Amino acid sequence: MELLRPSSLEALDGATPIVGGTEVVPLLREGLLATDALADIRALVPRGIDGARVGAGTTLAELEADAQVPEALREACRLAASPQLRAMGSIGGNLLQATRCWYWRLDYPCRLHDGDRCHAREGEHREHAIFANDFCASAHPSDVAAALLALGATVRTNRRELAVRELYRLPSRDDRRTTTLERGEVMLELDVPPADASSYLKAMDRKRWSFPIVGVAAARRGSVTTIALAGVAPVPWLLDGSLDDATPLPGTAYKLQIARALVERARSSVA
Amino acid sequence: MARLIRTEKEVEGRVEEVWLVVDEDPLEQWPAGPLEAVGRPAPRADGLARARGEARYTADVRFPGMLHAAILRSPFPHARVRRIDLAPALAVPGVRAAIGPGDAPELDDRCAYEGAPVAAVCADTFRQAREALELVEVEWKQLEALLDPDDAVARGALLEEPRTTDRGDYERALAAADVVVEATYRTQTVLHNSMETHQAVCRWEGDMLEVYISTQYVWGIRQEVARTLGLPADKVRVVCDYMGGGFGAKNSAGEYTYVAAELARRTGRAVRCALTRREEHVAAGNRNATIQRVAVGARSDGTIVALGGEFVNAVGASGWNAMTEGPMTMLYDCPNVRTVTYGAKLNLPPAKAFRAPGFVEGTFALECLLDELAAKLELDPLELRIRNHAERDPGGKEYSGKQLLECYRRAAPHWERRHEVRARSDDRVKRGVGLASQVWFGGGGPPSYAWIRVGSDARATVVTAMQDVGTGTRTAMAIVAAEELGIPVDHVTVAVGDTLRGPYATLSAGSSTTPSVAPAVRAAAADARRQIDELAEQRYGRGAAFDVAELLSVLGNAQILGTGSRGPNPTGMSVLTFGVQVAEVAVDVETGEVTVERVAAIHDVGRVINPLGASSQVEGGIIQGVGHTLSEERLVDPSSGAILTRTFDAYRMPTVADVPEIVTDLVDVPDAQLSNLGAKGIGEPPIIPVAAAIANAVRDATGADVRSLPITREEMLRALAEARKTRGAAAAV
Repeated sequence: MELLRPSSLEALDGATPIVGGTEVVPLLREGLLATDALADIRALVPRGIDGARVGAGTTLAELEADAQVPEALREACRLAASPQLRAMGSIGGNLLQATRCWYWRLDYPCRLHDGDRCHAREGEHREHAIFANDFCASAHPSDVAAALLALGATVRTNRRELAVRELYRLPSRDDRRTTTLERGEVMLELDVPPADASSYLKAMDRKRWSFPIVGVAAARRGSVTTIALAGVAPVPWLLDGSLDDATPLPGTAYKLQIARALVERARSSVA
Repeated sequence: MARLIRTEKEVEGRVEEVWLVVDEDPLEQWPAGPLEAVGRPAPRADGLARARGEARYTADVRFPGMLHAAILRSPFPHARVRRIDLAPALAVPGVRAAIGPGDAPELDDRCAYEGAPVAAVCADTFRQAREALELVEVEWKQLEALLDPDDAVARGALLEEPRTTDRGDYERALAAADVVVEATYRTQTVLHNSMETHQAVCRWEGDMLEVYISTQYVWGIRQEVARTLGLPADKVRVVCDYMGGGFGAKNSAGEYTYVAAELARRTGRAVRCALTRREEHVAAGNRNATIQRVAVGARSDGTIVALGGEFVNAVGASGWNAMTEGPMTMLYDCPNVRTVTYGAKLNLPPAKAFRAPGFVEGTFALECLLDELAAKLELDPLELRIRNHAERDPGGKEYSGKQLLECYRRAAPHWERRHEVRARSDDRVKRGVGLASQVWFGGGGPPSYAWIRVGSDARATVVTAMQDVGTGTRTAMAIVAAEELGIPVDHVTVAVGDTLRGPYATLSAGSSTTPSVAPAVRAAAADARRQIDELAEQRYGRGAAFDVAELLSVLGNAQILGTGSRGPNPTGMSVLTFGVQVAEVAVDVETGEVTVERVAAIHDVGRVINPLGASSQVEGGIIQGVGHTLSEERLVDPSSGAILTRTFDAYRMPTVADVPEIVTDLVDVPDAQLSNLGAKGIGEPPIIPVAAAIANAVRDATGADVRSLPITREEMLRALAEARKTRGAAAAV
């Protein structure tokens, strides 16, 4: 395998881009991702925070410590992963994380791997989805994505500008992908508009260094509060309806109970 | 003088009667309490070497031309190899040899669990070996997998005949009891996850097989490998210098040793076979899950009159039927006890001993049951335990030493904090305090030997082929030798872990290293000290005061050589360790989050040799116990039997943020009957009561009965909902 340092994003030439490598390298080691070349794009992706503008190469460690960053995003970064991973991992890479579903990770022929059944639905699924889990019950692991959804952030890529919400798509029979990024498309910058108040609350299996059982982000502008959740659906989940619309599996019903408690707490913390 | 005796030998609850050659132990015990070196906190003698990366672990062993092996394992829980073709693997560049079923011990075409070893390849690099394995062609025949332990018991799929205890008249006592509590407790499968994975490097030096291995028992490996390969034991040299933990999973040789030995024989090179972390999560052993259906009967004054239970150990494809009933039969003074223990044979990876096997699980059930009884009797849980304290071992023997009542006395102030802790509860977060007692073995025993040499610089080297599995036993030996010789601790070097270059010492399991080997080290040092005193008498005259360094300076290249051995355990006595822990928890009743805020650990392990080393064992035990109680669980796909948790993101050990405040209080009274030190082991006792103390604190905080480990958020929320339902029903009546 080659490690390239291309001079421009146009010269990626099919190589897999990495910034911190904390997502891509483990996938390569597990054999879940195959590539002939990695492209180190750190020199090509903006890094740093300037008001609402956040370079996609900014690390989670930088974000969690910067007072310009809205509380929800700062907390989502602080409660993610471990200090070592946050020092390496970029916000752009964080948004593109693959699910932690053990069936997917162990390469079961599941629907996300173009197979014809969801092994988690009938199997061990305590960490899985309570929304949109009919086709695939995997849960999206990004804390940061939930915070950005609640804050109404947008992303600029080398090809277009889009809302963070539009970055994700639910997998379907015809298209198993969970993001809308095209091949060769790279996130460059995020716009994270300020809120009057925001917060992020996270339930984990231990105190630190765990993916969310449920993460809840809340952002209030004037009288409008937006809520988004992590770890509850195959993609980061903007709560535009009610938690009553959830369709938990037998083993994920407890997640709904936790979500109710955390949504209420998050709402009152930004009120 | 050596003599031959018939005695009982116990290892982690398994007792057998054996012939033993023992040496008398004529030394008087030292007085209780801190001495010059013994009983004073000492940092690890090898701490800096470990921290600097200078300590050589098995994982660091490299020889010129060494090859790397990788093992092909069954992807199915139950399968047979119909056909296997190693040729495509042998064609890969760098590959030097490949072996299949029957070519080495433990490589088998019948696979009774996922991860069972089938074939192996060695190559110049590990990557080449791994890639070659992918090319091995195997035709599998999948067989039906048995996964449910109750199902296995019903079908008679057992490891051995069920083990029973029958004392007094259990049925009658239960029928006559004023109060009866029955409950079913469940514990999960957890993994050892030592920092160093299971591994060995083997090479042949002439007709001698050298085995460098991460192990808890160099002598056991020597004997097992020699017997299995048909070699004289002296033609097997086993080396384990520094070791990255075992927790019970590294007591035997394992397929990795045999694979390395056979591939080394075929290639004439040194071969390393090291499990990856993913293999470690599947096929390196585990603490088996249990189902415990238990009952207690008591009089209204709290006197326990009947204890009984059916214990199912979900052992896996092989392993042993741990003494899960042990706490119930040993901890309390109860005349009527009936237990039956089944070892369910399943198509799951074999259980291995894991830090107080059986007793961690059994104490969870027994000590939670006792708190449920206390609640029903409206008795204070600490008072209930004191009332049922056993003055004599319920099996009939005298104790060699027992300070459990003193442990209870010292626990009282921690227990008293419950009023203040509960008062800090609010609508969302409920706080409470719970306690649990502990009984375990840990007396060690003969044989174990040590040599010592003292040079003209008045420094000493202790040689004993024990192993320091990471617990600090090397330092404990240096402290004991320094005390006896009257020299500073850092003037003692301890050489361990080489069967060619030291005398026999015990296995490091059952909390037995220090209580077995340290008395031998003291005896060796006393032997040297006696010779030094004789020299002093010749030089300075009888009874004259002298300076050891000055006297020894005349030695030149001459050396004082001493030998020592571990004397016998007291005949017909029960040698046990005891303790009690008090846990404080906070439970978020809306999200099911359980936080352990403080654990006070009071243990009786006889004399304490190094208080710093002992408290770090207590801390390690409690941290491992917190993981067992709250977050660790090996998960299996219910239909296929495949292991799902193979990485650290899925299998959740505690982080430093999960560690409670830990208060350690060791009673430190030497066991007057046991050895020239009166010291027992501290490795296992601290993990034993953790789960029950936490679960009892959760009940104290919330009124909810958690009877199933781990206490994840879903288990906590389920228990809270059930408690609300029960309370609602009670209120409706």
